[in-house]
Amino acid sequence: MTMAATATRSAISPRAAVLAYLAVSGIVLLLMMLLGLTMRLAQAQWINVQPDFFYVVMTMHGAGMVGIAGLSGAAVMWHFVRRHVPVSTAIFLTNLVFFLIGAVLILGAGFIGGFGAGWTFLFPLPAHSGSLWSPNAAASYLVGLMVIGVGFLLLHLDIARGILSVYGGLGAALGVKQAFGLAPEKDGPPPAVTASTMVLIVNILGILFGAAVLVVSLVNLYVPSFTFSALVAKNMIYFFGHVFINATIYMAVIAVYEILPVYTHRKWKTNWAFYLAWVLSTVFVLTVYTHHLLMDFAMPTWALVAGQLISWLSGLPVLLVTAFGTLTIVYRSGLKWNPAAALVFLGVAGWSIGVIPAIADGTIAVNSVMHNTQWVPGHFHTYLLLGMIAMVIGFMTYLTNPQPRYGFAWLGFWLYLGGGIIFVLAFLLAGSESVPRRYAVHVAKWLPYDRMGSVGAALAITGVLILVARFFAGMRAAAYAEDPT
Amino acid sequence: MIQDVVWSVSIVLMGCLAAVFVWVATGANEQIANYGPVVDAAYRMRVWLFGLAIVVLIGTNYKTLGELPYVNTLPQPAAPVQVSQVVGQQWAWTITPDTFVVGQTAEFHVTSKDVNHGFAIYDPEFRIVAQTQAMPGYTNVLRYTFTEPGTYQVLCLEYCGVAHHEMKAEIKVTDH
Repeated sequence: MTMAATATRSAISPRAAVLAYLAVSGIVLLLMMLLGLTMRLAQAQWINVQPDFFYVVMTMHGAGMVGIAGLSGAAVMWHFVRRHVPVSTAIFLTNLVFFLIGAVLILGAGFIGGFGAGWTFLFPLPAHSGSLWSPNAAASYLVGLMVIGVGFLLLHLDIARGILSVYGGLGAALGVKQAFGLAPEKDGPPPAVTASTMVLIVNILGILFGAAVLVVSLVNLYVPSFTFSALVAKNMIYFFGHVFINATIYMAVIAVYEILPVYTHRKWKTNWAFYLAWVLSTVFVLTVYTHHLLMDFAMPTWALVAGQLISWLSGLPVLLVTAFGTLTIVYRSGLKWNPAAALVFLGVAGWSIGVIPAIADGTIAVNSVMHNTQWVPGHFHTYLLLGMIAMVIGFMTYLTNPQPRYGFAWLGFWLYLGGGIIFVLAFLLAGSESVPRRYAVHVAKWLPYDRMGSVGAALAITGVLILVARFFAGMRAAAYAEDPT
Repeated sequence: MIQDVVWSVSIVLMGCLAAVFVWVATGANEQIANYGPVVDAAYRMRVWLFGLAIVVLIGTNYKTLGELPYVNTLPQPAAPVQVSQVVGQQWAWTITPDTFVVGQTAEFHVTSKDVNHGFAIYDPEFRIVAQTQAMPGYTNVLRYTFTEPGTYQVLCLEYCGVAHHEMKAEIKVTDH
C-alpha cells in the first residue's frame, strides 16, 4: 500500500524539510561531540575545566545528544513513512521550530544560567543547586525540554493520524495479526509503517510521563514545600528517558530496512518473526526501564527482577531479527560497498554489539558493581554513537548520493569507526575498573582510560566532521533529487 | 572479581559478533543470484540460534537471580549484623559507625537528606564491592560482609551537583 503525502500549506517541500532536520542534527551533533571531547580532555587532565562548568557541559551534552537523536531519528522515520501514509509537512516543520525554541531555552539555562543538574534532571536536584544556578535557570531548562516534548508529541500524533487513516488501527499497522499467524504475511504493513507505529505508541506514552514529571519539578522549584516521592519521580524520569532514547534507535533502523534493499537489490523479508519482534519490542521498551533502578532497593523486588529478565529478553528481537536480517540481506549479495550502505550496516553492527554490555549491566549481580560506572556510557555509546548515529549518517549520505568524492567519505567513515571503537572501549575498560561516570575530576589511576578515550573521541569527531561536511556539500543538489533506487 | 569476568566475557562476545559482521561485509561483493535458498538457510540457522539464546538466557538468569543483593531475599545471618546508619547530604557522608570487622556482616541503612546520591563501597584496590542508592524519604538496606581488612573508600555514584566527585568517606575494616 503506497500513497503520496497529503498536500500541505507548507512552502517547503517534504524533502527539503527532511534535509533541514538533518542539517540541524549534523551541526548540533558536531557541537555536542566537541562538548563530549571537552569532558574527556578535562578528565584526562590535558585541559583545565572548572567542575561547575564541567557539569554544565555534561548536562548540555546529554540533553543535546538525546535531542538530536530524536530529531534525526524523526527525519528518517518521517521520510520513509510518508511513502505509505499521509502526513503533514507543516507539522513536521512545527516540530523543528519547537525543537529550536527548546534548544535555545536549554542552552540559555546552561551557558548563561549555569544549570548543571544532568540531562535527566533527577528530582529534586534542579531545586538543590548549592547556589550555582537560580530557579529561573532550572525552569528554563525544564520548559525547554517540555517545548521539545510538545513538538514531538504533535509529530507523533500526526503520524498516528496518517497511519490510522490507512490501516484503521495501530494493531493492523504494527502487524499484530501477521505476528500471530492470523493473517497472511504478504498482507502485512511495510517495515517503515510497523516501526513507526511502535515508535509512536511508546513515545506518546513516554512523553506524557516526561511532561508530568517536568511539571512536578517546575512546581518544586518555586514552591519547595510541594513535595513528591523521589522514587516515583525517578520511575517517571527513567520511563520517559529510556523510552525516548530507545525510540530514536527504532526510528533510525527504518533507514536500514529501506536503504540496504536499494544497494543489495534484495527485498527485506517481512514475515511473522519480523512482526512478532516489533510487537515484543513495543512491550519490552515500555516495561524494561526498571533496569535503571536496580540499585534502588526500596523498589518492589519483583519489578527489579522483571527489569533484569526483560533486559535479557529485549536483546532477542534485536539480534535475531534486525541483525540477522541485515546479515542475510548483505550476505553474498554482490553489493558494491559505498559509504551509505557501509554506515547503515555499521549501525546495525554497533547496535547489536552494544546490546551485549547493556545486557550485562541489566543483570542485578553485575549492576551491583557496575552501576553508574563508565561501563554505562561505554555500552550506550556503542549502540548510539556506533549504532543509531551511524544509521543517521548513512541516511544523510544516502540522500546526498551520488557524490563523486567517495574517497573523502571513506576517510571519514574509517576515522569515525576507528575512533569510535577506541572511544567506547576506553569507557568499558574504565567501567570494569570501577571508574565512576559523571566525575569532573579523576584520580591518577584513571587517567590512561581518559586519555585513550580522548584520542578516540578526537578521531571519531574528525570522521563525523568529514561525513557531515560532505552532506552539506551535497545538500543543495539533494533537495531536488530523487532517492537512489 | 565479577568485573573482570564481565569484561572478559563481554569483549569476547562483542568480538565474535563483530567478526561475523566483518565476515559478511568482506564477502558481500560475491553474488549468489538466487536469494531464496539464502533466506531459507538463514531461517534454519536462526531457529538454532534462538534455541541457544534461550538456553543461555535461562541458565544465566537462574544463576544470577539467586544472588540478589536485596535484604528481603537474603537468608537471616547466623550471627548478629552490625548496623550502620548512612546519611548522604550535598556533599558529604555521615556513616555511624564506620569501623567494621572482617567476617561480621555489616548492614548499612542508607538514606539522604536532600537529593539522590549513590553509596558505593570501594575496596583497598579501589574497585567497587557493593552499592545502593541514597534517596530522600527512603531507606535502602545494603548488607555486606567484609572479607579483607583495610581502608575502604565510599564514593558517591549518583550525580548530585557541583561537588559530586568530592563526596567521599572512609570505612575501616579490622581483623578483630
